[in-house]
Amino acid sequence: MNRFLIVFTLLSMLLVSCGGQPSESSLVYGLTLTPSGIDPHVDASSELGIPLTSVYDPLVWLTPEGEFVAGLAEEWEISDDGLTVTFHLRDDVTFHDGTPFNAAAVEFSLDRIADPATRSLKARGMLGPYDRTEIVDDYTVRVHFTEPYAPFLTSLSTVYLAMVSPDAVSQWGAEYQFHQVGTGPFMFDEYVPRDHLTLVRNPDYDWAPDFFDRQGPPELERVTFRFYPDVATRALALQSGEADVMGEVSPQDAVRLDQSPDYALTPVSIPGQPLQFFVNTQRPPLDDVRVRRALIYAVDRQAIVRTVFKEYSLPAYGPLTRPTFGYDPRVEGMYEYDPQRAAALLEEAGWIDADGDGIRQQDGVPLRLETILMGWGYIPEVGQMLQDQLRRVGMDMDSREMTFSNAVSDVADGRYHLAPFVFSSSDPDIIRTTFQSDNIDGGFNWSKFADPQLDAWLDEGRRAIDPEARRAIYGEIQHHLMEQAVILPIRDYVNLNVAGAHVRNLRYDRQGWFPWLYEVSLAEE
Amino acid sequence: MLSFTLRRLLSTLVVLWAVVTLTFFAIRLLPGDPATVLVSQAGGSAQDIAAVRQQLGLNDPLAVQYVRFLGGLIQGNLGVSLVSRRPVADAIVEQLPHTLALATSATFLALLAGIPVGIVAATHRGSWIDQLCIALSVLGFSMPILMSGLLLMLLFSLLLGWLPATGQGSWRHLVMPALCLSLASSATIARLVRTQMLEVLPQGYITVARAKGVVERVILWRHALRNALIPVITVIGLQFGSLLGGTVVTESLFSRRGLGRLVVDAIFWNDYPLIQGVVILGAAIYIAVNFLVDVSYGLLDPRIRRG
Repeated sequence: MNRFLIVFTLLSMLLVSCGGQPSESSLVYGLTLTPSGIDPHVDASSELGIPLTSVYDPLVWLTPEGEFVAGLAEEWEISDDGLTVTFHLRDDVTFHDGTPFNAAAVEFSLDRIADPATRSLKARGMLGPYDRTEIVDDYTVRVHFTEPYAPFLTSLSTVYLAMVSPDAVSQWGAEYQFHQVGTGPFMFDEYVPRDHLTLVRNPDYDWAPDFFDRQGPPELERVTFRFYPDVATRALALQSGEADVMGEVSPQDAVRLDQSPDYALTPVSIPGQPLQFFVNTQRPPLDDVRVRRALIYAVDRQAIVRTVFKEYSLPAYGPLTRPTFGYDPRVEGMYEYDPQRAAALLEEAGWIDADGDGIRQQDGVPLRLETILMGWGYIPEVGQMLQDQLRRVGMDMDSREMTFSNAVSDVADGRYHLAPFVFSSSDPDIIRTTFQSDNIDGGFNWSKFADPQLDAWLDEGRRAIDPEARRAIYGEIQHHLMEQAVILPIRDYVNLNVAGAHVRNLRYDRQGWFPWLYEVSLAEE
Repeated sequence: MLSFTLRRLLSTLVVLWAVVTLTFFAIRLLPGDPATVLVSQAGGSAQDIAAVRQQLGLNDPLAVQYVRFLGGLIQGNLGVSLVSRRPVADAIVEQLPHTLALATSATFLALLAGIPVGIVAATHRGSWIDQLCIALSVLGFSMPILMSGLLLMLLFSLLLGWLPATGQGSWRHLVMPALCLSLASSATIARLVRTQMLEVLPQGYITVARAKGVVERVILWRHALRNALIPVITVIGLQFGSLLGGTVVTESLFSRRGLGRLVVDAIFWNDYPLIQGVVILGAAIYIAVNFLVDVSYGLLDPRIRRG
C-alpha cells in the first residue's frame, strides 16, 4: 500500500508540475470568482470582462469623464427617429489572426449576439431592440432598431458587444471562448478554467484612442490572470508577491495595505444599483407606505457603511449608484437618519408597544420583518446592524441566512419582508429588471411594486435618445421609487483593488470593474 | 474467487445506480432554479428567465429528464453543464488529477506522520512523550483547515519565504495544502496505531520473538506493526473519502484547481448535470478505494486470503 501510494503521488505530481514561468515585463492579476464561461457574447459575469476588455476594442469608447470618443468607428450618426445608427469604420485595423476589420465583421459580431442559438445571457439584453446590420460599403455600417434604444452606445463601449474575428468564430465554433480573437492591445493566449488566463502583447497595435497616455503597442508583454476564490488568501497572495494586482480585497485588508508604501489602493465605484434590500410592498405591514418610510428613517446607513465597509464606500440613498448615468443627487436628502421620525410614523400607522416588551404591535400582532440574508458581500454583517437599529424603534427583525438559490425560492413563495441584492450595469435601464411590473412574477421585481406610471417612465427612459431628456426621466424615477420607499438602499458597491507600488498607471473604465491594462507599466525594482 | 468478484461488481453497480438516482432527485427537489441564477448575473426580465428555463430543458417532467439522463449515462455520457455548456466529463477530467494529487499526497503524509507517532507513543506509554503525541493529535484533529492553512501560509510564505502561498505548478505548491489536509488524518491514524500497538505488544508471540533475541526494531516494524495495521488500512479507506471532502476548503483557500472547487461552483449555480457527475465520480472513487482496502487485507494477513 505504501509503495503504491508513493508511486501514485509522484505520478500525480508530475502530471500537474507543468507551466508557470515568469518573464520580464509580466503582470499577475488576481481575479475572484471563477467565471462560468468567458465568451463575452454569451456569458454574463463581470469577471470575464477584466481580462477581455484588453483583447477587444469597442466601436465607441466611453471615457472616464463619460464622453463617447472614436474607437473602431471613427464617426457615427444617429437618425432623427432614433431607429438607425450609422458607423464609419477605421480601414487600418486587423484582428490578431490577420483577418481585416471591416463592415462584415461588425455585422457578423452583432448578428452573432442576436442569434438565439448563441444563447446570450447578457449581450443580447444590452443590444436592446436590435433588428439588423446593413452593410453600406466596406467600411460603413448602418445598425437598425425596431424602436429607439438609448443605451446602445454605452452598450457598445463594453466588452460584451465585442467585435470578434468572424474567421476565428467560424473556425472554433462552441470552443471560441478558448480561442478568442479581437483587435485590442493584448492577444488571448490561453485559458485554463479555474487556474489561469494569459494575455500577450499585440505588437501590431496602432489604433489606441487619444485619451490614453500612450500610443502603439502596450508596455506589458504578458498578463496572467489567476483566480483567488477565498477572500482570506487575496491579500496574502499580494504580500507574498504571487500577484501584482488583486481585485475585491476585503475592506479590513484594504485599510491595512493602504497604509503601507508598498501598495496602492484603487477603490472604484460600480455603476448600476447599490446593495439594497427590496421591501416586499405586497406583504403587511410593508404594504403601508408609512411603515416603509419609517424603516428607512430608522436605519443609520452612515454607521453601517463605516463599520462594515470602512471609509472607501459611500452610503446609498436611491436605486442607482453615483457613477451611473442619470443619478439624481436629490435622493440624498430624502431620508436623513431620524429614529424619532420613524417612531412617529409607526405610531401614526397604528403600531404601538402596548406591552412594553420593546416591540410594537397592532391588534396583538408584533411588528416583525422576515429578512433574507445571503452569505456574500458582507450582507450578514449588515443584517446584524440592521437588526439592532430597527429594534431601537420597536421593529423586530427575524433574519435567515441562506444561499442565493434558497433565496430565489423563498422570494418566489413570497416568504420575506426584506431581501437584498445588487445589480451592476453600465446603464440606468437596469432598473427595469427590478421595478417593471412584468417582473413581479418569476422576475427580479422583489419589491413586488406595480405602478403604471413607473412602467411608462421606464419605457420612455429606454427610448429617450436626447441625454438631457433621458436624465430628467431617470431623475423622476429615482425620486418616485424613494418617495414610495420600495427599497432600503445601503451602500454604493465599491470594488477595492490593491496593486503593488511597482504597478504604474493602473486605472479602470466607467464600468468600474475593467482595468485598462494597455496603459500599465512596471517600475524598475 | 471469480464468483466473489462478480458478485462484488454487481453490488457495486447497484450502489452506483442508487447513488445516481438519489442524487438526481435530491438536487432537483432542493429549492432553487438554475435559470434564475444564470440570469441574475446580468439582470433580465421574467420573460428572459422563462426562456432560459425552456432552453435548458428544465420544463420537461422530472421522469423524462431522468430517463434522458440515465440513457446518456449508460452510453458513458454525463451530459452537458447547464452553465458552461461544456461536457461534464471534460470539466471533471480537467480537474480530477489535481484533486487526486492533493488527496493522495495528503494520505501519504498522514501515514508518514501518523504511523511513527503512533508507534513512539505506544512504546513510551504513559511518559511525557506519549502525552505530547496525544496532545498533538488532538490539536491536529480539531484544527480547521482554514486556520491551519492560514497559519502555514503566514509562516512558510510570508515570514520564511520558502513556499508559494497559492496556486499550483510544482511540488512546492503542493506541500502546504497537502500538509494542511493531512493533519486530521494523521491524528486519527496516530491514535489508532497507538491503540493497536498497545494491544499487540503484550501478546505471546512478541515475547517469544524477544526471547529469541530478535532486534527490537524488527519486532516493532515487522512483527507488531504488521498486525496492528489491518484496522488502520480500513480507516485509510474511509479517510480518503473525507479527504476528498476536505479538498473543497483546501482548494479554495490555496487557490488550487480541482474537483472541490468545481463542485462548490456547481452547487452555487444549481448546475444539476455537473453536480451529478462529480457525485457519481466521488462514489466510484470511494468504492474503488475500499475495494483496494479489501484486497490489501489479504496481503497483510494470509488467513483472510485463504478464507
